[in-house]
Amino acid sequence: MTATLTPQTGGSHAGGSHRRATPPAAHQLSAPARALRWLRRNVVTLFGILALAYMTLPNLVVLLFSFNDPNGKFNYTWNGFTLDAWKDPFGVAGIKDSLITSLEIAFLSTLFATVLGTAVAFALGRYRFRGRGLTNTLLFVPMSMPEVVMGASLGTLFLNMRISFGFWTILIAHVMFCLSFVVVAVKARVLGMDPKLEEAAQDLYASPTQTFLRVTLPIAAPGIGAGALLAFSLSFDDFVITNFNSGDTVTFPMFVWGAAQRGTPPQINVIGSAMFFIAIAVVIVGQVRTNRRKQKAS
Amino acid sequence: MSEQQRAGASGDVNLVGLSKSFGSNTVVQPTDLTIPAGSFFAVLGASGCGKTTTLRMIAGLEEPTTGQVLIGGQDVTGLPPYKRPVNTVFQNYALFPHLSVAENVAFGLRRKGRKDVDGPVKEMLELVELGHLGGRKPAQLSGGQQQRVAVARALINHPQVLLLDEPLGALDLKLRRQMQLELKRIQTEVGITFVHVTHDQEEAMTMADTIAVMNGGVVEQLGSPADLYESPRTKFVANFLGQSNLLDTRITGTSGGYLLMDVHGTRMALPVDRTAAQGDQVVMGIRPEKIAIQHASAADSNGNRNRIDGGVIVDSSFIGVSTQYTVRMPWAQEITVFEQNMERDHRLVPGAPVVLHWNPDHGFGLAPEPATASAAVKA
Ligand SMILES: Nc1ncnc2c1ncn2[C@@H]1O[C@H](COP(=O)(O)OP(=O)(O)OP(=O)(O)O)[C@@H](O)[C@H]1O
Ligand SMILES: [Mg+2]
Repeated sequence: MTATLTPQTGGSHAGGSHRRATPPAAHQLSAPARALRWLRRNVVTLFGILALAYMTLPNLVVLLFSFNDPNGKFNYTWNGFTLDAWKDPFGVAGIKDSLITSLEIAFLSTLFATVLGTAVAFALGRYRFRGRGLTNTLLFVPMSMPEVVMGASLGTLFLNMRISFGFWTILIAHVMFCLSFVVVAVKARVLGMDPKLEEAAQDLYASPTQTFLRVTLPIAAPGIGAGALLAFSLSFDDFVITNFNSGDTVTFPMFVWGAAQRGTPPQINVIGSAMFFIAIAVVIVGQVRTNRRKQKAS
Repeated sequence: MSEQQRAGASGDVNLVGLSKSFGSNTVVQPTDLTIPAGSFFAVLGASGCGKTTTLRMIAGLEEPTTGQVLIGGQDVTGLPPYKRPVNTVFQNYALFPHLSVAENVAFGLRRKGRKDVDGPVKEMLELVELGHLGGRKPAQLSGGQQQRVAVARALINHPQVLLLDEPLGALDLKLRRQMQLELKRIQTEVGITFVHVTHDQEEAMTMADTIAVMNGGVVEQLGSPADLYESPRTKFVANFLGQSNLLDTRITGTSGGYLLMDVHGTRMALPVDRTAAQGDQVVMGIRPEKIAIQHASAADSNGNRNRIDGGVIVDSSFIGVSTQYTVRMPWAQEITVFEQNMERDHRLVPGAPVVLHWNPDHGFGLAPEPATASAAVKA
């Protein structure tokens, strides 16, 4: 029955290449009209370039001033080109330790938040249980609450529990605020997954564990990856919450903040620019690999 | 081949009192069914009648409310899907989007611990004529190609039983016909039991050895396509497979193996052994192509054929190989007649008075009320 109801493919697309009427030749138009037409054609490109410039300009300034040879403590005015800072990026007391601390915290909080968040996302996306709706709502609290409030409250909590501030309090705080983002990213992926795929895997002799490892996880992977990247960058550059819970521990953002009061060595710009380039390199490598895989397939 | 034949010999599927309820809603009534090994078995029924649910219970993806599933004589009711010698071609294929076509096909073999999968995968892709596309992702294939990958992915495991859930539902008419032939060819070639779910009666008739017609969670009738078409036992079957004219009758007696009956004042006959109903009221069914139509003035005496006088053509449409007439009976019922276009009588136009007649042996008798679930099972 449905066969006759199915629209026949083909036919309707035959001869689909309509030609637009050729526009009037350019030399027949007046100069303002020509400019207007050019603008109309390129307006999207133009705005795109402007938006891109708006987003990257701060990074370019940071990069430029990493080559500055500042006169005095503050790296705010251009004074001359030098490669000194790039040759000795850790040549400021404390900068290396703070960077390592930040990377450690970012790695660990990414790890914990991703594992925990993925589990939460699967639970919320797959199962109905008491408190599911409430959990879904509460997840948005860390995302929507002002960081200052959250940082201060956490600080109060740790203080009252007599937990001394330091590396571990920072880590706990970071895992907490990264968690929501991971859950949201992974849950979208879990909800979009066809449950038939897992049934198909089971039908093809995969045990529940194998089904999870071979089908569920790989399909959820882009969401998990996105969540992890988000967690890493959120943790790495968090200042406000960290500031309330750090004790003597100095993360890189806190070092920069402290340096801003004591003076800003161009080494800060070097490390900032390096982070920028690493991020871009990661994106480009990812893009190239996907493209290559696509080409191989066709 | 010997391995496949052995698998085929043990590929009997037995459903014993199998039923499924979701809450208080029973979607598959207790069903007893034997699907012989090596057969092409079709489950035919309207949307929502419980076809997919039945198939999922055989695959182990749905837990039966009552009853058992036996495959090759072994009770598999308690086994999870990954331990059953059964593979499924899903309604929407369910190909793994993150794996290449070849890896999709290799999936089952790898889970069973086979290392040397390249050879069998290549062979299987050749069988479904996709040998050159093994490197692609499923999203880069057409609907018909995806369908063939789904078949290859299931078949490569040499299951004892292959379950197909409307595998051709998403294809256009032409591709559908082509794939029907292809599936039939593959089934003959590998000799595995195929259980094919469809709501397309033409598809079931052209492909299957045996058809089970389901209605409202009940298997109403089981038989070969010709069997079901020539001798339907319920009104649902009579109208789901092809078209039928149904006439209300009153039994007046029997004579030499025939029921004699009164049809709105006309005497007719129907073989006793073609009647699936008892009592003095029987509905007589007759297929449109079994009825001869003649202009009233040309009608001769038609011997002992069933004959209705006084009909008037209200509509005729030319379908190429045949012409379809709608004839209004004196008692206002409309009867459909298909007449082959051999010698067309040009007087047979709307408004013309006609006589209809047919061989009594071509009729079939049904119970007057639509068969209830339990009645159909007992019949
Ligand atoms: N998980 C479920 N929970 C509740 N009801 C269900 C569930 N699965 C199926 N049903 C119901 O069971 C009935 C039979 O469904 P089933 O999928 O077996 O139909 P079908 O014959 O395969 O139909 P179609 O031709 O449309 O695929 C339907 O009325 C459906 O709504
Ligand atoms: Mg179905």
